[in-house]
Amino acid sequence: MRLRVVKAYFIKEMIELIRTKMIMMPYLMPLLIVILFGYGIKMQVTGVRTLILDNDNSQISRKLILKFEHSKYFTTEVKNMSEKEALREIKKANIDALVIIPSSFEKNSLKGVKTEMGVFIDASFPSRATTISNYIQGIILDLANDFHMDSSGVININTRNLFNQALRDEEMIVPGLIGMVLLIAPAILTALLIAKEKEMGTIFNFYSSPVSRGEFLVAKLSAIFFLVSISIFIIFLVASYLFDLPFRGSFFLFWFASELYVFVALGFGLLVSILASSQIVAIIVTLMLTILPAFMYSGMIMPISSMSGEAFIVAHIYPVMYYNHIIYDTFLIGQGFSSSTNILYLLLLFGYGVVLFTLGLLLLKKEIK
Amino acid sequence: MKVFIAILLKELLSFVRSFGLVFIVIYFFTAEVFVAATGMEMEAKNVAIGVVDKSAGGISKKILSSLHSPEFQTLKFYTSQKELSDAVYNKEIMVGIIFDEQFEKNYYKKLNPTINILIDSTSASQSLMAIGYIQNILMKFSNLKLPVALKMHKLFNQNSDTTLFMGVSELLSIITLLTTILTAIVFVKEKESGTWDIMLLMPVDPKIVILAKSLSQIIIIMVGTVLSVGLILFHSLNVPINGNLINFFILTFFYVATTAGIGLFIAAISKNVMQISQLSIVIMMPIIFLSGAWTPVYAMHPLLQYLSILSPLRYYIEGSESIFFRGSSFVDLLPYFGGVLILGVFLYWFGFRKIGKLF
Repeated sequence: MRLRVVKAYFIKEMIELIRTKMIMMPYLMPLLIVILFGYGIKMQVTGVRTLILDNDNSQISRKLILKFEHSKYFTTEVKNMSEKEALREIKKANIDALVIIPSSFEKNSLKGVKTEMGVFIDASFPSRATTISNYIQGIILDLANDFHMDSSGVININTRNLFNQALRDEEMIVPGLIGMVLLIAPAILTALLIAKEKEMGTIFNFYSSPVSRGEFLVAKLSAIFFLVSISIFIIFLVASYLFDLPFRGSFFLFWFASELYVFVALGFGLLVSILASSQIVAIIVTLMLTILPAFMYSGMIMPISSMSGEAFIVAHIYPVMYYNHIIYDTFLIGQGFSSSTNILYLLLLFGYGVVLFTLGLLLLKKEIK
Repeated sequence: MKVFIAILLKELLSFVRSFGLVFIVIYFFTAEVFVAATGMEMEAKNVAIGVVDKSAGGISKKILSSLHSPEFQTLKFYTSQKELSDAVYNKEIMVGIIFDEQFEKNYYKKLNPTINILIDSTSASQSLMAIGYIQNILMKFSNLKLPVALKMHKLFNQNSDTTLFMGVSELLSIITLLTTILTAIVFVKEKESGTWDIMLLMPVDPKIVILAKSLSQIIIIMVGTVLSVGLILFHSLNVPINGNLINFFILTFFYVATTAGIGLFIAAISKNVMQISQLSIVIMMPIIFLSGAWTPVYAMHPLLQYLSILSPLRYYIEGSESIFFRGSSFVDLLPYFGGVLILGVFLYWFGFRKIGKLF
């Protein structure tokens, strides 16, 4: 490896990146994704548009309606219309939930007879529907507590929400997003840099010049590595200041794991670019290999521990899970180097990168196919 | 007309001949939809749960025996609270339940026995749902007499099956993504090799060239959509359809044409494939963001609610969900058709003007 050659190649790559405005790629895209998704994904359900049909019009039913109105989870409307019309409103997607208070509600509940209350929820978005139904159950329970009821036999539940006490969406989503963008941005950039040379034919300069494969790769990849490394700090600042995430772990661990992860992402891009013949194929294949897995196997939407079967295996094959474990640890949990799992995952990431690079180096041929 | 058909066929042929691209498009429309639908689970299912039971009694065992699949995995028992919380910290389990020594005694004495629960709330929605399940189970043991029995009807998807929802929404996002990129690339490829200027200088009307080229990509996407709906949604995932399928295809056609318009615009302002990939992300992200795909429009900031009127995807998603799940009739769907159509005409016209200009 001749440092002089690497340096010259590195400078050439940098100039090219700046001139083609591709320098924006490692900065603009990750920021955009983190900011938009960070603000955009709301798992918490608030302001459920609820329509209440009060057929009873009694004290208790009014009390129930008040409970709905005072809850921040519901935006309530009380209307007088037939059940059929109300159901049509759900079909038109104008309301999300419909609560029908039966006419004998007060009479029955004073007598202690059970009343059936009809609740209709639009379950087009299933998890939202489950949450809404839990909320409504909570309100009914609350109402029951207000009235009579001896609550002596009731089992108390003392819940401790670890790591994310306020159940903020940002704390749950943003670390996962970091794992997503630090995979996608370097991978696409790498894949394109080599595929582009292939498509334009400039790859022949490399074939015919005395530059060795190692030098070529080191120069090209270190340019991207350098750019994305700066991006790591920017994203960290956005996460902790814009989204107000707590940072409970060690910053060194965060930085080190991120650099290792970018190294893995470069390996991904390298493999794709060697196999892909054109830029379109390179882009699409990289997106295919990164976006969905980074989303699914990140633990962001679905915890790894509750996966089963193939999903569990695939999640362990992808590097995203290991990095995300560390990222969530540094932001929310804070075990740092004292946890053996973190150290094991760091080693796995390193091993992953080494394997990808060895493969890339073996497959990259200095000849025309 | 002859020219139009010739160009259309040429584009389709060149698509079919590039095996890589054909393979990728087919992959996206089939495997990707399938994987996303079956893999993503937003309900709390199969939750890993751990227990420390110091009460050594029958009641805790009874309670624990009601925590079973599909909601929960087989229970993992720990001997001390320390071990349990370590397991939560290392994300081996998501929920930890602790019964203390007094539990059984208090239960029989009716002294409000207490259960301590530790939750890893890094994935907040699932942990909330898991708590909801546990609460429901405990209610049964609390012999509390509620005056009301709730009759829950989850309309359109009684079992809250995430597969159906994810399958449809993944298909919609793939349509969006592929249409933009494919349309933009068809034009920029010509730009990169310098043939686009020649195209515009030829005696053939450039309008016909542009129309034929973009129509060819629309056709490819439509074929992919039909394939995906038939093979994956209906055949493999058993997605029910409560509305009219024809409505869905018409809506899709309008939407794809709209997105092709965005693709034209991207092609007009980018010089190479690299820029397309950046621009399409920069332009598509806000459109997806404002569409209400993740956060329903009514829960957004008021300013964003107004902006979301401009996102064609909003009408498309709401419309398609209405067709698939809510089974809305054609009249109820008219606002969605209208929204997509108006935006579509505008966007397509805009992109059309931009790309048709020489230099």
